[in-house]
Amino acid sequence: MSKKILVIDDDPNIIDYLTTLFEDNGYEVNSASDAQKGLELVKANPPDLITLDLEMPGDWGPRFYRKMTQIDALKNIPVIVISGLTSNQYAIQKAVATISKPFDKDQLIKIVKDTLME
Amino acid sequence: MFKKILFATSATPAGDYAARVAFELASRFNAHVSIFHVLGVPSRGFSQTVVDVRTGENVVLDDDYKSWVKEEIQTYYENQLKDHQASDILIEVGFPHREILRYAREKKPDLIVLGGSTDENDDSVYKRHIAGTTLQRVTKSAPCPVLIVNRPAASFWGGISSIVFGTDFSAASDVSFQYANKIASSIEDGELHMFHAVDISNIHSSLAMSQDKIEETLRQARNKIRSKYVSQLEGFKNYSIDVWEGLPYVEIVKYAREKQADLIIMSHQAKDVDDDNARLGSNMEQVIMRATCPVISINRHTSGIVE
Repeated sequence: MSKKILVIDDDPNIIDYLTTLFEDNGYEVNSASDAQKGLELVKANPPDLITLDLEMPGDWGPRFYRKMTQIDALKNIPVIVISGLTSNQYAIQKAVATISKPFDKDQLIKIVKDTLME
Repeated sequence: MFKKILFATSATPAGDYAARVAFELASRFNAHVSIFHVLGVPSRGFSQTVVDVRTGENVVLDDDYKSWVKEEIQTYYENQLKDHQASDILIEVGFPHREILRYAREKKPDLIVLGGSTDENDDSVYKRHIAGTTLQRVTKSAPCPVLIVNRPAASFWGGISSIVFGTDFSAASDVSFQYANKIASSIEDGELHMFHAVDISNIHSSLAMSQDKIEETLRQARNKIRSKYVSQLEGFKNYSIDVWEGLPYVEIVKYAREKQADLIIMSHQAKDVDDDNARLGSNMEQVIMRATCPVISINRHTSGIVE
């Protein structure tokens, strides 16, 4: 069964791009355009990995992460931060990786595969 | 509760992270932001030349130069100003800490926001001569809370909900508590984490405490937090109490990281009131330098919240 990835980003172009990229690599992809919808999706259908934008309308990525990790069943879902903000590597200390926009798709896929131990 | 924010900035990259927090905070609280810039230090008492903070060069202080600096600042913060209409730009000449404090006493902002020296390679006048001391002096003497964003890591701010209140049980801590409680209880899904660190940094000296003694002290401190603060929470339930032992500033920084805090509020006990020799307590200074979130500093001049 293919692994599930949840893409959380307020930029529809990024969502489209990542969805296509992950689907082309055999993953099942779900997406949310803000943190609140993201959290609802994570609770309803926990993914194997999340890619998370930092600056979004409403809750930012770090707040989404805190809320998610306060739920025991969800706290170990790996998160990859994908953001255009400077110094973004400091934003979520426990993220498995932080990638700056624009990013190299091969690098992202490698990180995803490494994280999912494929 | 924060309606007037004074954002003191050198308008250099060192202040970018603080700007992010200042404007984010302003939009959450519908606050007015005054971007406050001290454009240079007079080369002597009544001199008409100042040292430009960016270039470090002497420049003649006239209206042209002032309006040029104002335009530069306007351009620098163009995006923020576009998104947040309730703001203005103020330019003063002098020593930054004195001008910031003077303004704060006269105009009574609810909060001062300061950045830190985030760029180690920064060779500006601020970095070399003033930044550290400006932060020290303003923080120590300001009549209102001072929010400091010293590290890029402290600026990822999608608003506030998780607040760490660090207490040393002093009178100034009572004021810190007022702010922490007010903020946490007035926001949706606010969390208030009340924390005290028992200093055992003398552990290797003759003053070393036994483990029994340490644990007894932790128990006492937990009870003290409960009796001193919990009764004032007025039904607010989303709080926690923790007391850890160690080197206080390390423990506070670790605790805030663990709680993924958006804000640390704490006070400091500075006895030296001479502005020009002001230094913060080392715990406060180190928390400011190291925290992964903004720090609100309360000093003994800080007024409590008036309802």
